[in-house]
Amino acid sequence: MTRSPWLWAAGLTTYGFLYVPLAVVVLFSFNDSELNASWVGFTTRWYGILLADDNMLQAAANSLFIAIVASTVATVLGTMAGIAMHRWRPKLLPFLVLTPVAMPEILLGVSLLLFFRQVLDLTLGFFSILAAHITFSIGFVAIIVRARLAGMDESIFEAARDLGATPWRTFRRVTLPLILPGIVAGYLMAFTLSIDDFVITFFVAGVGMSTLPLQIYSMIKVAVTPEVNAVSTLLMALTLTLIALASRFAPETLKSGQ
Amino acid sequence: MKALAALLLGLSALAAEAADTLYLYNWNNYISADTAERFEKWCGCTLKQDYYSDNEEMLAKLEAGAAGYDLLVPTGNAVQTLIRKEELKPLDKGQLPHFANLNPAYVNAWYDPGNRYSVPYATTVTLIGYNADKLRELHLPTDTWALIFEPKYLEKLKGRVTVLNSQRELMAAALRYLGHSAQDTDADHWRAARDLIVRAKPYWATFSNSTYIKELAIGTIWVAHGYSNDMFRAREDAKAARRPFAIGFAIPKEGAVLAVDNFVIHKSSRRPDLAQRFIDFMLDGANAADVSNLIGAGNPNAAAVPHIRPEVAGERALFPTREDIARLEMLRDLDPKERRLMSRLWTEIKVK
Repeated sequence: MTRSPWLWAAGLTTYGFLYVPLAVVVLFSFNDSELNASWVGFTTRWYGILLADDNMLQAAANSLFIAIVASTVATVLGTMAGIAMHRWRPKLLPFLVLTPVAMPEILLGVSLLLFFRQVLDLTLGFFSILAAHITFSIGFVAIIVRARLAGMDESIFEAARDLGATPWRTFRRVTLPLILPGIVAGYLMAFTLSIDDFVITFFVAGVGMSTLPLQIYSMIKVAVTPEVNAVSTLLMALTLTLIALASRFAPETLKSGQ
Repeated sequence: MKALAALLLGLSALAAEAADTLYLYNWNNYISADTAERFEKWCGCTLKQDYYSDNEEMLAKLEAGAAGYDLLVPTGNAVQTLIRKEELKPLDKGQLPHFANLNPAYVNAWYDPGNRYSVPYATTVTLIGYNADKLRELHLPTDTWALIFEPKYLEKLKGRVTVLNSQRELMAAALRYLGHSAQDTDADHWRAARDLIVRAKPYWATFSNSTYIKELAIGTIWVAHGYSNDMFRAREDAKAARRPFAIGFAIPKEGAVLAVDNFVIHKSSRRPDLAQRFIDFMLDGANAADVSNLIGAGNPNAAAVPHIRPEVAGERALFPTREDIARLEMLRDLDPKERRLMSRLWTEIKVK
């Protein structure tokens, strides 16, 4: 089978569009220029500076930790919400779960801040960021899980129950394996949303608690140095490793088909 | 509800643990790691910094109830806002023996008469940065706002000029060029400034608040309206990369906008004693010099000057003379009616 050269061209352009900017980020992390305006020379000193920069490393560690915890909690809650919405078709639940998805981030950020401060009188910090990230991630997981369930044949679940499986066993052995790709997709989505969220985090972050996006954004006033490229490169490497590991050990989780 | 109570208990335990910690809400890269470390050693405490990149950002967060910061570093007009909202703790001058190090030109400013709440730390001038070789080649002057407003000059610079994407800064430059004060609020003067800007706009490449640093440094832009420390960075970068031209910057002779960032103590501070010690530590000449050496900021501390790199301290636009300072003005906050008019004029500028 021969493919049209146009198809190749379109494919290559799309990949280029997606990956060339990332390659540029990596390349310029080795640039020997503080302003990073044009290529000056090769250096690895920005990685040295990064490894000595406690603020930046702490912010990166905070971001990763919050993203892992928030996306895990949001995946559990979102999956339950997705299943509930599919099975019992409640009237209020979809509204409650989907509102944070549709609401402009800035509004969600301000209202969460007011809620934490004025209603709960909570000290802003780790927990406020975590709660906020879980809040806006649940909806995305729920949507994906429900969409996965919507395309499924109900008779499979009925058959399981017919053959004497308890509701829990049906869930464990039938429902869960079937919707797993949806759950994994939801988890990855929640993770990505959490790790790069700026607007909401900005409002609910407290004293002495920063995340990577906040840290990088605050550098804008004094111009961003290649140190930011270096930390982005390391994050990219980490993400790529995780995806590579996932496709090596659990290839089925990355596939969306049956 | 029980879980929530436990959570709150846990959090207050965390807060109690942080007794010897000073929380500073600061601009990024405003204190070197070295100086922060020296302070920690000297006071036997921990210094924790969070960063903002805009005064409004910081004010908005405090307004919404963010508490726990001991020290803030607001610009003059934001200091006035914070004083008016009673957000600050007054300073105890008895605890600040190094206060006398400050250059008298920067103390007792309009936003805080008698410095009851604020201690100036760093200054920036909004001025013109330029490609010195290009301007010499084109026989253009370097020390006047005419460079960004007069078509007879702009004709030679078409597409090579950027101005700040800031209503207040650009209008202030236009007002100074027309011979008015940057703080002028006369509606007719504002309209004249708008007309001046609209006439010059077709010659400008873009409105830019940050990209001009790089473009000036690599030579794609020849004249930029922007901040003195950014111009300094562009100049250093062009020098370090051995580009075939030099970057210069000058305070236009018609006068310009000055911004002064200050240390103030927030009313929610749990350790005002540590905050005072920090301020006094930073008033010491060798420590005060830090911000100038780090990012090329101007310095209101007279005792700092001998500790500052000569290429920074010797730069007249960063360390203006007494006569220069007389031509510099700080921006004041506008009242709501003025703000509406300013926004309308700005919209007209942007759509024309």
